[in-house]
Amino acid sequence: MNLKRRAAIVRAIVAKDLREFSRDRLWMVLTPIMLIFYVGIFWLLPNSVDETITVGIYGRGLDAVAEEALQSDAVATEQALRVVPFESADALEAAVVDGTEVEGDDGKNTVPVGIAFPDDLTAALAAGEPATVTIYVDAAVPAEVQTAMSAFVREATYAMAGMDLPVTQPQQQLVVIGEDRAGNQVSPQDRLRPLLAIMILLVESMALAGLVAVEIQSRTAQAVVVTPATTGDLLTAKGVTGTLLAFSQTVLLLLLIGAFGFEPLLLLVAVLLGAVMMAGVGMLAGSAGRDFMTTIFISVVFIVPLAVPAIAALFPGVASSWVQLLPTYGFIETIVGVTAYGWSWSDSSVYLLISAAWCVVIFAAGWFILRRRVEAL
Amino acid sequence: MNLRIAWQVLLKDLRLGPRSPILLWAIIFPVVGTLLVQIVFGSLFAPQPRLGIVDESGSEVAFAMAEVDGIELTLVETEDGLTQLVGDNALDAGLVLPTGFDARVQAGERPPLQFFVGGESLASNRLILAVTTLDLIRSVEGSTPPVEVEVVATGDPVLPMSSRMMPLLVLFALLIAGVFVPAFSIVQERESGTLTALLVTPARGVDVLAAKAVMGMVLAFLMTLVTLWINDALGGQPTALLLSVAIGAVILAEVGLLFGSAAKNAKVLFTLMKSVNILLFAPVVFYIFPDWPQWIAQLFPTYYIINPIFEIAVQDAALADIAPQLVVAVVISLALIPAVVVMSRRMTSQMAAA
Repeated sequence: MNLKRRAAIVRAIVAKDLREFSRDRLWMVLTPIMLIFYVGIFWLLPNSVDETITVGIYGRGLDAVAEEALQSDAVATEQALRVVPFESADALEAAVVDGTEVEGDDGKNTVPVGIAFPDDLTAALAAGEPATVTIYVDAAVPAEVQTAMSAFVREATYAMAGMDLPVTQPQQQLVVIGEDRAGNQVSPQDRLRPLLAIMILLVESMALAGLVAVEIQSRTAQAVVVTPATTGDLLTAKGVTGTLLAFSQTVLLLLLIGAFGFEPLLLLVAVLLGAVMMAGVGMLAGSAGRDFMTTIFISVVFIVPLAVPAIAALFPGVASSWVQLLPTYGFIETIVGVTAYGWSWSDSSVYLLISAAWCVVIFAAGWFILRRRVEAL
Repeated sequence: MNLRIAWQVLLKDLRLGPRSPILLWAIIFPVVGTLLVQIVFGSLFAPQPRLGIVDESGSEVAFAMAEVDGIELTLVETEDGLTQLVGDNALDAGLVLPTGFDARVQAGERPPLQFFVGGESLASNRLILAVTTLDLIRSVEGSTPPVEVEVVATGDPVLPMSSRMMPLLVLFALLIAGVFVPAFSIVQERESGTLTALLVTPARGVDVLAAKAVMGMVLAFLMTLVTLWINDALGGQPTALLLSVAIGAVILAEVGLLFGSAAKNAKVLFTLMKSVNILLFAPVVFYIFPDWPQWIAQLFPTYYIINPIFEIAVQDAALADIAPQLVVAVVISLALIPAVVVMSRRMTSQMAAA
C-alpha cells in the first residue's frame, strides 16, 4: 500500500479520535475549565518582583547627613530601599500604623517600616551622648527585615558619627557573581509559565490515555486492524491525535498568557517536543486498558515525576542533578529560558536535543508497549 | 435502615478498600500535599535571604548569623564551592571568614570583607544580608553603637503563607476521603453491577449508602487529623477540634453520597466533581489572600466546615468562639439529609428500572 493511502487511513483514525474526544463530556468540560483556571491564576500573579523595602524616614535637619549615610560604603541601597521622607514622627507613626499609602518619588506606596531619628541626634552624636532611634514596623514585616533595619540604623549612625567600617570593603560596593538582574528579576508569572504548560500537556496525555484505554477495553483496536489499517497506522494515528491535542491546547495557553513575545518559533518547537513526549506517555498509560479510574491513576503515576522540573523552576537556583535527568527537564528549561531570559536557538540547543532524545525514547516505549497490547488482543 | 447489613457492607468495603486507587490517594495525599505546600508556598512568595559562609576558624559572626531569625544559613567547606553555589543562585550571598578574622577585627586591622552576591538575588535580600553581616562584625569588634534602636511593632501579624494554605490542605484531605472515596465506591459498584446484585438481597439502598458514608466519614476524620498533625497544627483545644473535624467529615460524606448517587458512571462523577469543586474550594482562596473582602468566603457552605478547624488549629480559638459557625455547619448537615434520601431512592429506582 502506498504512502498516500497510509496517510488517508491515519487521517481517518485521527478524525475519528478527535470526534470521540469532542463527544467526551469529561474532557470537553475539563479542558476549557482548566484553561480558564490556569489563565486566571497566571494573570492574578504579579508580573514583576518588588525587591524594594519602602522605608519612611523622619529626621529633622538630617536630610543631608542621612542621605550621605544611606549612600555610605556600608551597603548598596539603590533598588533595595525606597525612602519616603516625613515631616514629623507622628505622621510617620500614623502612616505605618494605618497602612495608608503615601506619595513618594515613584508614586504612592504603603510604608511598612518607619525610622524616626530624634531631633537632637546630630548634637548627641557630636557629644557622644546616648540617643534612641525608634523604628516603627508593621507586624507583617518579616523578622529578617526588622533585624536588618535595626542594623541599618546603627550602621547609618556609625557613618554619621564618622566611624570607619570594621572591615575593608572591596573596590565596588558589592561583588556580583553572574549577570546582575537587580531590578530585572524573573517574575512569579514567568516562573509559573512552564508549570501551566506542563499541566496542560499532562492533562492531554491523560485524555489520550483515556481514548486508548477505551479502544483496548472495547476491543475496537482489534476491529480496526482487521480492516486495511495496520497496527502501525493505528499507533501513528494515536500518536498524531495525542500530539495534536497537547500541542494545540498548550499553544493556546501560551498565547493567552503572553508567552510568544520572543523567539516564537523556538517556543513552538519546544512545545511540539513536549507534545510528542506526552503522546508517548498517553500511549503508555492507556495501554493498560483498564477502567477509567485505573487509567487516571496510572497517568498520575507518570504525571507527578514529569511535573517535578516545572515545580523546580519555581525556585531560584539550578535544579538538582536528579531533576535534570527527568524527561521534561529540557523542555521546561527551554520555556523558562526563552520566556524569562530571552534565550536564542543557540542557548536552547542543548536542552532541545535532550528533549528530542527523551521524545524518541518515550514515544518508542509507548509505541512498543501499545503495539504489544493491541497485538495481544 | 438495617444496621447489621450496613455493617456487613462496611466490612466488605474495608476489606476491599486497599485495592482502590482513590483510597490510596486519600491516604498519601496529606503527606504529598503538605510537602508541596511547605516547599512551594513556604518560599515562592516570601523567599528568605540565603547566606552561605565559609568559616575557616569558628568565627563568632557565623555563630551569631545562625541565630538570626529569617536568614537561611548554609555553611560551605570551600570558597570555590561557595562561589559555585552563589553563581548557581542556590544562595543569595556568600561570606568568607578566613582564619583569624575575628582577632583581626578586634585588633582594628580592618581585614578585607570577602562578601559577594549572586546576580539573581533580590536587591532587598542583598541589603538585608550585607547590613546584618556588618552589624554582626561590629559586635565582634566590640564597638558600642552610637544609638540605641527601639523597635515598635504595630498591627496584627500576617500568618505565613504555609499557614494560610492550611485550609486548602484540610479541605483536600476532607474532600478526597469524605467525598471521593464514598462517591467512587458507589459508582464503581454501579458500573461493575455489584450494587444491583446487592439490591436483590435483603440489603436496601439506604443500607449500602450508610456503609459508604461511614467509610468516608471515618477516613475523612482520620486523614484530616493526620494532615493537621503533620503540619503541626493540632492547636490547644482537642475537644473543639475533634468536634469540628467530625462535623466537617459528616457533611462531606453526605456530599459524597450525593455525588455518588447522582453520577451514572466514573466519567460523569469526575466531571461533576471537577465542576462543583470550584465552589467547594472557593472559601480557601480568601485565607490565601487576607486582603480580599473576607465576608465573601462566608457565602460558601464549606466556609463553615473549614473556618472552625482553621480557627482552632492555627489561631488557637476556643469552642465558644467557633460555636455559631458549628451551628451553621450542623444545620447544613441536617439540610443535606433529605437530599441524600431523595437521591438514594432515585438511584435505587434507576437501577431497578435498568
